[in-house]
Parts: sequence; structure tokens; C-alpha cells
Amino acid sequence: MKVVEKKAELCIGCHTCEQACSKVLFKVEDPEKSAIRIFEKADEGFDINVCNQCGECIDICPVEAIYKGKNGNVMINKEKCVGCFACVGFCPISAMRQHKDYTQPFKCISCGACTRECPTEAIFMKEKE
Amino acid sequence: MSCGKCNKTTVEELKKTHKLLAEFDYEPVKVEKGYANRTLYVNVSDNKIELKPVSEELKEKFIGGRGFGLWYLWQAVTPETKWNDPENEIIISSGPIGGITQYPGTGKSYVVSLSPLTNIPIDSNVGGYFGPFLKFSGFDALEIQGKAENDVIIFIDGDNHKITIEEAPEECVDSHILAEQLTEMYADSEEGKKNVSVVSAGSAAEHTRIGMLNFSYYDVRRKKVKLKQAGRGGIGTVFRDKKIKALVIKFSNLKGDSNNPADFDTIAKTGIKLHKEIHDFDDLQNSMRKTGTTYLVSIMNDYDLLPTCNFQFGNHPEAHKISSKVFKNYFNITKTDGCWYGCTLACAKSVDVFKLKTGPYKGQKVIVDGPEYETIAGVGSNCGIFDPEAVLECNFYCDTYGVDTISFGTLCAFVMECYERGIINKETTGGLELKFGNWKAQLELLHQMARGEGFGKIAGQGIKRMKEIFAKDYGADINFLNDIGMEAKGLEFAEYMPKESLAQQGGFGLTNKGPQHDEAWLIFMDMVNKQLPTFEDKAEALHYFPMFRTWFSLVGLCKLPWNDIVPEDNAETDEPHKIPEHVQNYVDLFTAVTGKKITKEDLILQSERVYNFQRVFNIRMGKGRRKHDDIPYRAVGPVTVEEYESRQERYDKQLKEEVGINPEGMTTEEKIKVLREYREKRYEKLKDAVYKRRGWTMDGVPKLETLKRLGIDYPEVVEIIKQYLD
Amino acid sequence: MIEVNGEHIPWKEGMTIQDVLETCRYTYPMVIIKVNGKIIKRAQYETYKVKDGDVVQVIHLMSGG
Repeated sequence: MKVVEKKAELCIGCHTCEQACSKVLFKVEDPEKSAIRIFEKADEGFDINVCNQCGECIDICPVEAIYKGKNGNVMINKEKCVGCFACVGFCPISAMRQHKDYTQPFKCISCGACTRECPTEAIFMKEKE
Repeated sequence: MSCGKCNKTTVEELKKTHKLLAEFDYEPVKVEKGYANRTLYVNVSDNKIELKPVSEELKEKFIGGRGFGLWYLWQAVTPETKWNDPENEIIISSGPIGGITQYPGTGKSYVVSLSPLTNIPIDSNVGGYFGPFLKFSGFDALEIQGKAENDVIIFIDGDNHKITIEEAPEECVDSHILAEQLTEMYADSEEGKKNVSVVSAGSAAEHTRIGMLNFSYYDVRRKKVKLKQAGRGGIGTVFRDKKIKALVIKFSNLKGDSNNPADFDTIAKTGIKLHKEIHDFDDLQNSMRKTGTTYLVSIMNDYDLLPTCNFQFGNHPEAHKISSKVFKNYFNITKTDGCWYGCTLACAKSVDVFKLKTGPYKGQKVIVDGPEYETIAGVGSNCGIFDPEAVLECNFYCDTYGVDTISFGTLCAFVMECYERGIINKETTGGLELKFGNWKAQLELLHQMARGEGFGKIAGQGIKRMKEIFAKDYGADINFLNDIGMEAKGLEFAEYMPKESLAQQGGFGLTNKGPQHDEAWLIFMDMVNKQLPTFEDKAEALHYFPMFRTWFSLVGLCKLPWNDIVPEDNAETDEPHKIPEHVQNYVDLFTAVTGKKITKEDLILQSERVYNFQRVFNIRMGKGRRKHDDIPYRAVGPVTVEEYESRQERYDKQLKEEVGINPEGMTTEEKIKVLREYREKRYEKLKDAVYKRRGWTMDGVPKLETLKRLGIDYPEVVEIIKQYLD
Repeated sequence: MIEVNGEHIPWKEGMTIQDVLETCRYTYPMVIIKVNGKIIKRAQYETYKVKDGDVVQVIHLMSGG
């Protein structure tokens, strides 16, 4: 399975990745609607927050709406999801998202769009067991 | 699965035996800001089905849930109505917040009826999917009245907007079989089982007054039907008396915004905040996700609060055998053990494969829902039973037979003490050796209740009626029975020792429905922390907490996520006991669902209205006054020499320091007498203080000015209290 | 002597909050502890030493049911 890997020290905080992501997911350029998020650190530099496809959320979903896709990445079945957001609260790295315009959570689907736009290769796709 | 009693083996065959009695199509409605704005009335005497509009006034004053239940019950009955009259109703309602999926503990149903144990309104809360599905199918409440001729099922098809009443002669009434059969029968497919919820009782509900209702939900991970219980007050008995075999509902289109709230985003964010809190702190706090409420057993034992051998003692050396450490090994834990979607506190534990050792299902491998703390303490320690498998077996049979584990546990403890003291004997029990610790005799008593025979039939009448029978037929000393029979208003006590906490005596006695801890649990505040030193302090707590906790029953919430998990900075708040951040969550949730802006003070006011209305309802039914708030002396102090001596140091100290008497040289009997006078007087003083705080007369009657302040001075309400006001 | 929830209990040299809890058999996890009115964090229970004459409050929160 391919996941988004990161070298946070290379990030320049341009937020291009967020725009690329929200465009794929919701057809808008809006960082709030991006599955990958860039946060300015208190001291210096940036934090890159994105799903590592660990799958913890799969077991927390009461309707089994979260599953491993055929590429091994973790997906949400919107038909089944009842919008409880337990997965958001229980994500060990806080990478599951909620936005006021939607009644269901959303997450990184490992499509790689963000990595293609990153000017510094701070994020890139990597094969993971 | 089949009970083996009937010859129909498949659900298709069973379905064929159904006879359609009534059919009713209705217009679907969209839920608006937490309300369907309509209720459903079903009369099983004449099979009449009607819709009733919900007025703004009803929503404003009675909110929903228990409030709606009490309002409809008030309209349905007269002061003369008895629990088994056809006009008695069973009302099920969730409430405006009920059915949201984002915040833990939001799927509760509240059930109201005239109780066969108390003959006053009872309200009982329960998880499972029925309440939310009822609202999303288009009804804020379901009112059932009348009595059917033969066993019926009421089916609400929320997908096709149709209600049917069907005669259902063949299915077994025991819930573990019935709920599974009906889930399969009414689900569209295997996948669709999660869209069906069944309400059912069981065979012992027919022959006792302690019947309860099981509310089902289908667990997609276990692929099993699970049951939650509306336990208290005998509503299952009313259900079977009406010849209702089951209620079934189907609703397939559940979404996160089915409740159509005014402000979804606030609800989502508030919910996520609590999900995170549970994720981060539950393991350090009560471990609800791993052990449910069983963690309380060893805690209660350590603090001398675990009822043991009919509330004589508060701890036992063998209590560790029924603690969470033991049950943890039996539980099959998943990460989604919630009884409604989104409940990450996940306390609904179960033992998925348990082989039964007794009774009609002996040898079968069944799922046991629970045990919860109350069940372990009730059927376990209180009966001197410290065998975890005996507790599991009793838990299972109580559930499938439709019997309340709390009433069963407490009444069984009473019977066992009577047996040990020779008040009853082998002859009266028909051979049952009902000594403390004899789990086989306990289970046989339960099986007799299910069969409607033997001593089980007498015991199933509850402690209040047993006391009368034992005195009349067996010449027992009624005063002693009144001292040790742990019931008040006719309802059996829940499983906490209130003896050393005056405030908790009020928490059990100064209640509307009877001694159930859901109004106030003040033992730690009072006895351990010593935060309530004066009568006024206790009265304030006995005002605030019952009002606050009543609110859950109006809006469709579970109490547990309020204080079984607390935020990290709770200690630094002004009033850590109230969990201020969670109170604010509730204020925010109510506003976000209904669009009505409220404050935390409004929340108390909403409860006070319904609470006082219920008090007046009790008065209307002939109870609800000062004398009805009495509790047995065993709840107040030591009745017997053994009890006194088990806590001699504490009691001697109280005599010396508070009563001003030197206990040296006195016999234990003399000390018991003096202590009793002191403690009983104290309880009366507590009544005075609490009534004053609640705005009631010294007879416990809500004053006219109180009803006016609350805006419930309706003529029919004022009429009831008028005669008691001077 | 120290005072714990209004009761006097003997003080011992080196006594920690954890020792106080064990002496009183306070096993309930949901407590707030104050020494002379100051909140002590959970992480310090095993290291914080109470002094002779200290007033300790072990405030049990409610739960259950």
C-alpha cells in the first residue's frame, strides 16, 4: 500500500497540498476541506498532519463503514456511515476530519495528488507494509 | 433458534400464523429540530390507531421523553385507575436530542406507565434502537392503551409508513428467542437486521409484578441481537397484561442528520470533543470501555457500600470473585459496545457464548447482555452469592423471562433473610432452601416465576406484598418485616447501601418513582468527602441533582457520559461534582438541536416542571405525600445486633459525638434503640429541609406558588393539590 | 497527625499522597486531591510528600448507575 510520507523539515508552509487535496475531495480550493493539513509550529517550521492508513478507525466504526480498500488504504463507505464522528475522536494522530458543510467525516485516500503539487518534496508517496 | 415448545421451526412458518387485525397507512413527516411533531396512539382493545399533533405548549413545558409520557398518562387515567385496567397506558418516547449519533449516550427511550408495584407512574430508561427509530419513523411518542384478546405484535414500518396490529399466536415470549425471530422476520435482508428493533418482555413478566421490557438492537460485529432493559417498576408486567407479545419497528435510512437539528456543526464538534476525552482518559478513569459498570463492585466493597445479605452489611471477603477483574475474562469486548450509534463510552458489555446450567434452556449456548453493576450486586452480593457464573446465569434468565434484575435481586435477598431467620421455611417455599449463597435455589425461584407456580409466584409479587402475606399467613412480625424489607412506595431498592449517608437516604426516599439511584447518588459527597455538613447543604444537593438528572429523561440521553468520564481540567473548576464542561455540552446540544437558546439554569427549570408535575400525579394517585417518602429502617441504620456490631466503632462514635450519650455499659439493643431515635429524627429533619428547598409544604405537596412559578398551574393540576394546602 | 476528609490519621515520615490513599483505603480512581487547599496532580501522587499537620482533601466525584 502507498501512503503519504513526510519530511516536515522541508515544508515551507505554502499550503499548496491542501488546495490540491480539497480539489480532489470536494472540487474546491479550501484548506479546511483538505485531508492533509499544514500547521505552523509554535517555535519554528511546520507540522504536516495526514493519515498514515493505520486502520484504528476501522474497529471504532459502529456500522462497519470504514474498511481497507483494495490497495490497502482506509476508506469510508458513505452509504453506510451514520455520521457519529467516533473515528474523528479516536484517531490516534487526529487525521480524520470533520467540516461544517458535511454530515460525514472525510480522510486521506492516498491518491497522491498533494505530493505531486508539493514544491519541496516535503511529502511523497511511499510503499508501506 | 427455537424454544422447542412450538412446532414451527422457521420464521416463515411463524409469520404465516400471524393474523392481521388492523392496518394503518400514514403520511411521512420530516423530523424538524428534534421533533416529528406528532405522536402515535394504538389501542389494542379495539385496534384503533390514531395520530396526534404535538403542540408548541407541550414541547415547551414537557420537552419530550418522560415529560411526554407523564402528560399522556395523566390524560389517560383517573385516580381510580389500576395498573391492570385497560385505560392504563405504556408510553415510549425518546426526546428531542434522542437519536443524534454524534454525542455518546443519545439513544435512550423513556417508558412510562402506572406501575403494578407502586400504583403510581413509573419511568424507566433504556437503550437500544427503538426510541430513535420511532421518532425517525415520524412519531415523538408511542402511546399504547387497551387490552388485546390474544397475543399481538404491533409493527411500525417506518420505511413504508405503515402500522399493523397482528395476532401472533406461536412465537415463544421469552426475549432471547423472540427478539431474534422477529428481527429476522421483519428485516428485509441479513444486512437490514440493524434497521429493526424489537420491544418484548418474557414469560415471568406474566406471572409477577416485576416484569421489564427488553429493547433490542442488532450488533453488526457480533452478528447477534442484543438486549437492553427498561427494568424498573414492572412495565413488562403491564405489557403482558395487555397481551402484547412485541413491538417491532423498522427504519432503514438512518443518517447523521436524521434528527434534522438546527445547528449540525455544533453537535458534531461537541461530540468529537467528548469522543476525544473518552479516548484519552477512560483508561485512567472508570475503564467503561473495557469493563462497563462492573468496575463499581470492588469500589463499593472497599467503601463498605456493596449491599450484602439483604443490605445488612456493606462488604464481603469474597466480593473480589464477582469484581470487574473476573468479569473482564468472560466479556467479549469489541470497540463498539454502545447501545446506540456513536456511544464511545461503550458500556454495553456481553458474554457472547455462555452455556446454561439450569432451566428450560439448559445446555444451550447463549449471549448474556451484561452483567451490569446493579445486577451483580443485586442477584450476587445482596443474596450472598459470589459465583460469577451464577450471576451470569441469573442475569440471562432475568432478561429472557422479562424480569427486572434489581427488583429480583432485592426481593430475593429479602426472602433469603426471612428464610435464615425462620420467618419462612422449607414448607412455605415448597422445598426451596433459600439460604444466602444458594444460587441454585435462587434460579429455581426465578424459573418458578416464569412458570407461574410455587413460591416464585408469591415472591414475584414484590417485597411490599410479600410482607403482607408473611404477616397474615405465616404470623411474621410485620414491624420487623417493615424494617428489613427494602422497598419504598412499593418499589425495591437499587443496589447501594444508604445506611451511613443521610443524603443518600433522601436520594432513595425523597423520590418520585421510588428508591432508584437515578435521581441522586450522593454517598461520596456526603459520607466520604463530607461536603454536605448541614441539612441545607444536603437539601441543596437533593434539589440540584434530581433536577439535573431528570433532564436526561426529558431529552433522550443517558446519564453515564455526564460523569463516568470527566475532562482533564475538571478539578480546577468551581463545582467539579457538576462537571461544568459537560453541563455546558448539554446546554449547547439542546440549543443546537432545537434552535431554542437555553442556559444551564433553564435546564434545571425544564426538569423542575416535569418533576413537580410527577409529584402532583403521585398525589392524584393517592401517594406523593410526606408519609410516602418513608424508607425502611434498614436503609437508615442498623436493625439487628449483628448489623450494629459490624460497625460498632462508627455507631458508638456517633452516639458519643452527635447524640451526646456515653455508650459504655449499654447493651447493643439499648444502643440500637437510642441510635434509631436519633437517625429517624434526622431523616424527618431532612424531609423538612428538602421540601422547603423544593417549594413544597411540610406535607410534601408542591405549593401553588411553585406550580405558578413553573407555569404548570393548569386547573386540573391545581385541583389535585388544593385540598392539601392551608 | 494529618487531617484527611475531616478525620485525623497518623502521619509518618516520607508519607506520599499514594500512602495516604492506601491508608484510607481510597481505591476510587475519580478523585481530586487538595493539600492545604492546593490541587495535587495525579502524576505527583507517588512523589508528593505530605507534612505533619497538613489538611488533605480527597474529593470523590460521583459516577456509576
